[in-house]
Amino acid sequence: MTSRQTLDPSVAAWLGDSPGPASEDPLTSALDRLYASGPSAGEVERARNRVRKALSGAQPAVVYYDAVGRTRVGPVFVAVSDRGVIAVEFAASEAAFVRNLRARTGATPVRSRQQAGEASRQLREYLNGKRTRFALPLDLRRMSDFQRSVLLAAARIPRGQVTTYAQLARRIGRPGAARAVGQALGHNPIPIILPCHRVLASDGSLGGYTARDGVRTKARLLRLEGAQLLAE
Amino acid sequence: MTASMPTQPAFEDLVDTYSGEIFGYLWRLLGGRPDAEDCLQEAFLRALRAYPRTPRLRNPRAWLYRIATNTARSHLARGARHLARTADLDARLASPASWVADAFDHRQRLEAVAAAVEALPPRQRAALVMRKYQELDYPAIAEALGCTEAAARANVYQALKKLRHRLDPVAKTERMA
Repeated sequence: MTSRQTLDPSVAAWLGDSPGPASEDPLTSALDRLYASGPSAGEVERARNRVRKALSGAQPAVVYYDAVGRTRVGPVFVAVSDRGVIAVEFAASEAAFVRNLRARTGATPVRSRQQAGEASRQLREYLNGKRTRFALPLDLRRMSDFQRSVLLAAARIPRGQVTTYAQLARRIGRPGAARAVGQALGHNPIPIILPCHRVLASDGSLGGYTARDGVRTKARLLRLEGAQLLAE
Repeated sequence: MTASMPTQPAFEDLVDTYSGEIFGYLWRLLGGRPDAEDCLQEAFLRALRAYPRTPRLRNPRAWLYRIATNTARSHLARGARHLARTADLDARLASPASWVADAFDHRQRLEAVAAAVEALPPRQRAALVMRKYQELDYPAIAEALGCTEAAARANVYQALKKLRHRLDPVAKTERMA
């Protein structure tokens, strides 16, 4: 146990830690003035409604998936919801992919070439160097506004080109947020199609990549796109 | 599929029950509405994603506080709007003091206190707000911060100690005036 810290009894009472008359010194009364009332009922309602709206659009009941197959970056799987592509994953096995998909979307995964076949065909073509861009609807409902803005900014980087975490942060109007941008990219649920691999560290090194084989996969994707890599 | 589902409340129930309270927490932690609203949305989206992986939630309230605390921390780290505080202070001071000079001193002191709270280490600030204004008990604060109960208590006490220390010069000037 750590040593028991002592507090003035009236301050302890103010905190609710002990009975007795509560402190009314300048500090505690200033704190109360600043923080006791909190947001108004109208503000609370507004915020709650925003959450409800974001969530109501965030839950597909069923997601369909297909195996893209063995590619130059290993086995890849893709899933689509009623709105569009919801996940791409470098998964070791179908079972692992289904498990992750269920956990991430809360929806029931159903294998369907009819529903997910177009997405898997485009990915296969892309990874075989026979396609340069995707024409697929995306389901971005489960992302926060920040992550969505980061990934959509990444999607505007042309094939064969790269940028840095810091530049991308500036591009979305959040200079100084390079770290958070890196995090948002690291949690990209739709890699390859949303090309987070085109974003590198500011020193020109590859930065990170959370997929299987990490930055080696990132380097392979970039080479496939014809990007010039200085460091690996 | 419902037959095999564990008896966990629907996520929507958590939103109805706790979103107002968590919003109040973020509002106090981030000093105002726009940031708190952004963060609330992000926190509940994070919670939604994590929910299927958290089958046995003993204390959903503390779990949501934990997610909200972490969301607020990354929000602050990403250099969010800092001007929110002073603008918001005006709103919070809407009820005017009777005498203009009084109001000025009063405002200065509140600004100093608000700045001192913002300068606290994030965990201490979070612990103080949770204890005093969200009325969480120490076990819940410990769960929200991922620490022991003793450490939760120490964070609250340290916050108060630091505030008092930092504001002492302010208090002294006031006595001299």
